[in-house]
Amino acid sequence: MTVVGGVHEPALALHVEDLTASYAHQAVLWDVDLNVPPGVLAAIVGPNGAGKSTLLRCIIGAVRPNAGHVYVHGRPYREQRRRVAYVPQRTSVDWDFPTTALDVVTMGLYGRLGWFRRPRRTEADEALEALAMVGMDAFASRQIAELSGGQQQRVFLARALVQDADLYLMDEPFAGVDATTERAIVDLLKDLRARGKTVVAVHHDLQTVATYFDWLALLNVRVIAQGPVAEVYTAENLRAAYGPRVVLLGATEGAAPVAASVATAGATDRGTEEARTPVA
Amino acid sequence: MDLHVLFGDFTVRSVALGAALVGTVAGALGSFAVLRRQSLLGDTLSHAALPGIALGFLVSGSRSLTPILAGALISGALAALLVLLLTRTTRIKDDAALGVSLSLFFAVGTVLLTYAQRQVGAAQAGLDAFLFGQAAAVLPADLTLIGGVGLAALLALALLWKEFKAVTFDADFARSLGLPVLALEALLTLLIAVAVVIGLQLVGVILMVALVVAPAAAARQWTRRLEGMVALAAAFGALAGVTGALVSASARGLATGPVIVLAASALVLASLLAAPERGLAWHAARSWARRRALGSHRVLVDLLRLGQDHRDPAYASEQGMLDTYFGGPTGHVLRRLRRRGLVERVEHMPEEGAHWVLTPAGRAQARELQAPFGGRRDEDENR
Repeated sequence: MTVVGGVHEPALALHVEDLTASYAHQAVLWDVDLNVPPGVLAAIVGPNGAGKSTLLRCIIGAVRPNAGHVYVHGRPYREQRRRVAYVPQRTSVDWDFPTTALDVVTMGLYGRLGWFRRPRRTEADEALEALAMVGMDAFASRQIAELSGGQQQRVFLARALVQDADLYLMDEPFAGVDATTERAIVDLLKDLRARGKTVVAVHHDLQTVATYFDWLALLNVRVIAQGPVAEVYTAENLRAAYGPRVVLLGATEGAAPVAASVATAGATDRGTEEARTPVA
Repeated sequence: MDLHVLFGDFTVRSVALGAALVGTVAGALGSFAVLRRQSLLGDTLSHAALPGIALGFLVSGSRSLTPILAGALISGALAALLVLLLTRTTRIKDDAALGVSLSLFFAVGTVLLTYAQRQVGAAQAGLDAFLFGQAAAVLPADLTLIGGVGLAALLALALLWKEFKAVTFDADFARSLGLPVLALEALLTLLIAVAVVIGLQLVGVILMVALVVAPAAAARQWTRRLEGMVALAAAFGALAGVTGALVSASARGLATGPVIVLAASALVLASLLAAPERGLAWHAARSWARRRALGSHRVLVDLLRLGQDHRDPAYASEQGMLDTYFGGPTGHVLRRLRRRGLVERVEHMPEEGAHWVLTPAGRAQARELQAPFGGRRDEDENR
C-alpha cells in the first residue's frame, strides 16, 4: 500500500506510479509506472511525442500531472528535491541571456543558498570546480552566447554536478553535441555511476542506447517495457514502441543477445553487420 | 530659461528627481520585461491603465494620486488576466491576445475619461495629462507617492535578485530547485506593472512602454552581465526621464512623455550603432577590416601561385597580370603589403609597368595562408 508522505519503495532511486498528464485534454502520459534502481544509467527512449520530456518535467513539478506520484529514494519528491538535479534540454533556454558560464553553474547552488542570500566566494569556487569537471574551467568568465552547443551542454551538466545530487534527470544530454563532447559526457555519466549516483536520461539514439546505458525504459505515452537494457532492448519491444513500420535490423554492436536473435529470426535474413537505426 | 535658473526652481528640481526615479525603476524592471519577451505586455499594461485612472478619479472624487494609481494598477492587472484567459482557453496567440486586450481597455478608458472630464474638478485633476504625460501636473505629494512605491519596487527586485534571475533564465530549472516559479513570475509582472503605473503621470499611458523597453534595449548592447544590464538600463532611464522633465518644463505646454521617449530612443540608436561587439558600427568596422585582410591574403597567395607556376619563387609578377588573377585593381593592396614588408616592387621590364615580388616574410605568410587548402609543396623553390 502506498503511504503518502511516508517511506515508499525505499529500494528504488526513482519510483513513479500511475503518472498521467495531458495537454489540452490530449493524454501525453498515460498511467506511467517507472522504477529505476540506484546506481544505474537509465535511458528513456521512445518516438517523438512519446512524452519523454514531459515525464521528466512532471517529475520535477514543472508540469502538473493529472494523477500519479513520484518518490525519490523512498520519500516523496517534494521532500527530496535537494537530492535531485535536473538538466533541461539545451534549446529550452535563451542563450543570449546576459550572463557567464560561471554564473549559470552557480545557479545550481541557489536551492542550497535559500531565499535572499547571495552567492559568495565559496559558491564561486564550487562552481569553478564543477566547470573543471566538465573541462570548461577556462571558459568560466565567457559570455554563454559565445559558447558552442557542446560547450553549452557541458555548462548545463556542470550546473547539475555542483548540486551534488543522488539522482540526475537529463533531457537529451547528447542532442546537438559533437563526437568529442558525446564521449566526454558518457565518461562523466559513468563516473557518476561509479560514485553510486543514478542517472535517468531522455535519449533519442537507439544505436548507442545499449552501449551508453545499462537500464532502459521504452516509452510511448505508456511504458512499453522497462528493465536492464539486455532484457528490454528487443525487436518486439522496439516495434511496440515505434510502431510496426519500424525497420529493425540486427542489433547494433553491444546489444543484448536476445535482441540479436529476435532480430535475425524476424523480418530479415540480411547480415547483422548491416546495422541500421530504426525509423518510425 | 537657462539651465541654472531651471535647476534653482524647487518644483522643477523635485520633478526632475521624480522623473529620475521613474526612469530608474522603469529601466531596471524593464530589463526583465525585455529578457522575458514581455515588452508588449508592458504596452498593454500602460494602455489598459486608462480606465483605472478615470475610475480612480470618479470613485474617490478627488485628484489624489493614490486612488488613481491604484485604479491604474487594478485595470492593468485585469487586462493581463484577460490576456492569460484568452491564450489559455482559446486558440488566440499571445500577440493577438495582447492586441485585443490593449485596444479593448484603451477604448473603455477613453470613454470613461471623456465622461470623467465633464465632472467638477476634472480640469484641476489634470486627467488629460495621463495621456501624454505632463511633468508640470505632478504635485509634491504625488512625488512622495511615486518615490515611495518606486523605491519599494527596487527593494523587492534587490531582495529577490537571484530568484528573479533564475526564473527568467531557466524557469524549469528554477522549479526543480523548488522555487515557486508561478508566484515569482506573477510578482515580477506585478513589479513591471508598478514601474509602468508610477510613470503614467510623467510619460502618459500611450508612450510609457518606451521608458520600459528602450533603456533596457540600449543597455543590452553594452554589457555581458545581467547586473550590468539592469544598472545601465536604470541609468539610461533616469537620464531620459530627467532630460524629458527639464525640456518639458522649459518649454511651456510641451508634453513630457514624448520628450522622454525621444531621449530614450536617442540612447537606443546610439547604442545600436556604437556598442562594442553588438553595435552596427562595430560590426561594420570589423567586417571592413576583414574584407581588407581578405584582399591582402588573396593577393599574397596569388603572388605565391604565380611563382609556383613559373617554378621561380623570385618570379616578378606584372601588376596587370595580378589584376586579372585577382579580378580587380590590386595597386592599393600591393602598396599596403609593401608597407608591411611583405612584397617589393621590382623594375623587371620598365616598358611593361610595375612588377611585384614576394619578400621572404611575404612568402612565409602566403604559404601559411595556402596550407589549409593543400599548398603545392612539390613545386617549391627547391625544384
